[in-house]
Amino acid sequence: MSAQPHALLVDRGNLRRRNRFNRLVEVSSTLAALLAVAVLVIVVGSVFLKGVGALSWHFLTTPTALFGESGGGISNAIVGTAIIVGIASVVAIPVGILVAIYTTEFAPDRVSHAIRFVLDLLNGVPTIITGIFIYGLLVVGHSQSGFAASVALSIVMLPIVARTAQEVLSLVPAILKEASSALGIAHWRTVVRITIPTAAGGLVTGALLGVARVAGETAPLLFASSIFRQGVLTDPGEALASIPIFIFQASESPKPEAHTEAWAAALVLIAIVLALNVVARAFYARSRKRMGA
Amino acid sequence: MDTRKQVRSPALSEQNQPEQQPTEPRAKTSVETAMPMRPVRRAERAGSRPAVGDIELKDLHAYYGSNHAVRGIDLDFDSGDVTAIIGPSGCGKSTMVRCINRMHEEIDGARAEGRVLLDGLDLYDPRVDIVAVRRSVGMVFQKPNPFPTMSVLDNVTAGLRLTGAPRGELEDRGREALTGAGLWEEVKGRLKGPGAGLSGGQQQRLCIARALAVEPEVLLMDEPCSALDPVATLKIEELIGELSERVTIVIVTHNMQQAARVADTTAFMLDGELVEVGPTEKLFTNPDDERTEQYVTGKFG
Amino acid sequence: METAIETRTQYQEELTQLEASALGGLDLVTAALGRTMEAVEHQDVELAQLVIADDDRIDGRYLEVHQSLITLLAVQSPVATDLRLISALLHVLKNVERMGDQCVNICKLIPLTGNEPPADAEMVKLILTMGKQTRALISQSQRAFEERDIEMARDLVRRDDAVDHLNRECFGLALEIGDDPDKREWAMTMLLTARAIERIGDNAVDIGEQVAFVVTGLFREFEDASHPEETIRP
Repeated sequence: MSAQPHALLVDRGNLRRRNRFNRLVEVSSTLAALLAVAVLVIVVGSVFLKGVGALSWHFLTTPTALFGESGGGISNAIVGTAIIVGIASVVAIPVGILVAIYTTEFAPDRVSHAIRFVLDLLNGVPTIITGIFIYGLLVVGHSQSGFAASVALSIVMLPIVARTAQEVLSLVPAILKEASSALGIAHWRTVVRITIPTAAGGLVTGALLGVARVAGETAPLLFASSIFRQGVLTDPGEALASIPIFIFQASESPKPEAHTEAWAAALVLIAIVLALNVVARAFYARSRKRMGA
Repeated sequence: MDTRKQVRSPALSEQNQPEQQPTEPRAKTSVETAMPMRPVRRAERAGSRPAVGDIELKDLHAYYGSNHAVRGIDLDFDSGDVTAIIGPSGCGKSTMVRCINRMHEEIDGARAEGRVLLDGLDLYDPRVDIVAVRRSVGMVFQKPNPFPTMSVLDNVTAGLRLTGAPRGELEDRGREALTGAGLWEEVKGRLKGPGAGLSGGQQQRLCIARALAVEPEVLLMDEPCSALDPVATLKIEELIGELSERVTIVIVTHNMQQAARVADTTAFMLDGELVEVGPTEKLFTNPDDERTEQYVTGKFG
Repeated sequence: METAIETRTQYQEELTQLEASALGGLDLVTAALGRTMEAVEHQDVELAQLVIADDDRIDGRYLEVHQSLITLLAVQSPVATDLRLISALLHVLKNVERMGDQCVNICKLIPLTGNEPPADAEMVKLILTMGKQTRALISQSQRAFEERDIEMARDLVRRDDAVDHLNRECFGLALEIGDDPDKREWAMTMLLTARAIERIGDNAVDIGEQVAFVVTGLFREFEDASHPEETIRP
């Protein structure tokens, strides 16, 4: 029974200051988090409030009205976005995943690093530049097309899909690959039957994130697919409507109803993007759980 | 897995098949000790067996880049024996063992030199198919690693399925392997369930079954019990005793008491070199080398 | 391999301590033997009683150290030299205990010889000499163990043989003691005393054999090349 314990319990003034500082940091970081959440809520909220008025079944199933008139919808824009993004995905997702497999499973370290670097650079290229590039390559001398837009979007999508896939593939525990190797299973078979299935969830994530990102990319569309015929078009050989272009064009109209329609389209777009993100995260979480991470 | 397999060598390319020299079962050298040789195990394995699964390391060196991790090891693993490799961290024991099934060279910048003879055949001969080597020399790792996307049965038969074994045999061979690993009774009701859904000890036994399913002659175990609780550890030690009838076992372990319990022969490594090798009883009652003495009595440093 | 931290220090200290305790038992035995010889010389019954009572200390030492060694075996999993040392110490303890018991046996005989002067002064002198030599023998065995000196341990055989020789001389003298029943009784008692001392000597040689075991890991009974005939072990 010494005096020691008591000495430890005595408040030396220091303690109060430290507590105050702790509290300060706690409070400010909580506020910052709340602010971030608030921003999302405000953005989504205001889009919702401003656009919900024009949102209706008619709106979603009727093509855009002729220029100058109102009462149309975004059915052609939805279909156009679906086709353009669809084609882009069909190109970018397999290529992205294959690139990821190459860098994590087959390439020597230095080559992997180089490819990763290139992908990061590609990711950082402003999409308007991608747009101009595709414009010069595929539009000038020919005409706009959904196809050209798809190519541009697939260039934007590729690094996202590849980097996410890469990350997930490298999370596959090395001991699984070692165990497979030790059983006398050939390398490529290990990749196909063990590595990829294990990382499957994460690969889906990468794909969905890529799709979510390009669904709203506007700049390439401005160059490659902004002047289109009326009605619901399905041939990617010609320019197609798309939701971002609709938003852009509707917001430029002098009519206030058109502005509301723009907000409504924005709401649809945000809903799609958010949904894709949420599903993508869910797949990612499941994939990580499976790998025991 | 009841009948002892005949000599089977890793596949070579068609051009050249070197002749197989049948090696005689090595006579146990009698060493003068005060303690009797481990009586139970020796009595069980009286009589000569065909020398299958005999490993000889000849002047083995291994490098990680410029790091000389294994220096000139000459070591024999007798057919049907359990040999433990002990030594402090970083002494090269795992590296050496990974040279036996040629896993070491999979690492970027790693290489091995020297010869590793399996029943007289040099596994480092350029004509030897690495994949076939791994079917003769199996491996179990420190952390249990069942394939997460496969069921229990699929896990056990993975080595067979993914190397082209006929589908009809899979279930039977899987069952045999699970029985051999002492796991059949515990999992027979959930063969289709996920492999990762078993307890740690069961998962490790599943990995052992998986390795056994390919019917290797040699089984390498790299600290197989480190991640397990004491009861699971003892079960696996018991299993090792049974398995040694059919496969030559080499076990790397940090746990000296474990080496003392399971191994017939123990080898002590230090800084990449083989310091001493001999009957386990001798190493733990009266080792020849002072460094061995220091290590086993825990007086290092 | 060098590390900054010494390992198993507590275990090592404990083992060293237990060795000192066990060998310390030999000090107790040497003292007991000394007093026993004094009691024999002066026919001192009270001193004899003291030695008998004091044997409790030797027995106590045996139990205490024995228990600690068993605990050490259970708890520390000793191997190699440590294991051989512990095994040897268990044997040494047993030897110590037996030596103490022999002293007690001798002391128990003393009242039986009564207060009469000894029948054969020669025999008494032999016995006292045996006692002195055996005390030296015990000391040598102790030193041999402490220093792990195999040569010194082997030399114990030679010195023990000398004690055995004296024992045989006693036997010879006893045979010629004559027909007087009192004298014969006295002679028998003296012979028993001599034999007890001889057995103490044998225990000391056993300790020497343990020295060899600790050092070499081999257990062999010592053989003295200069005495090819077998020594009759009682």
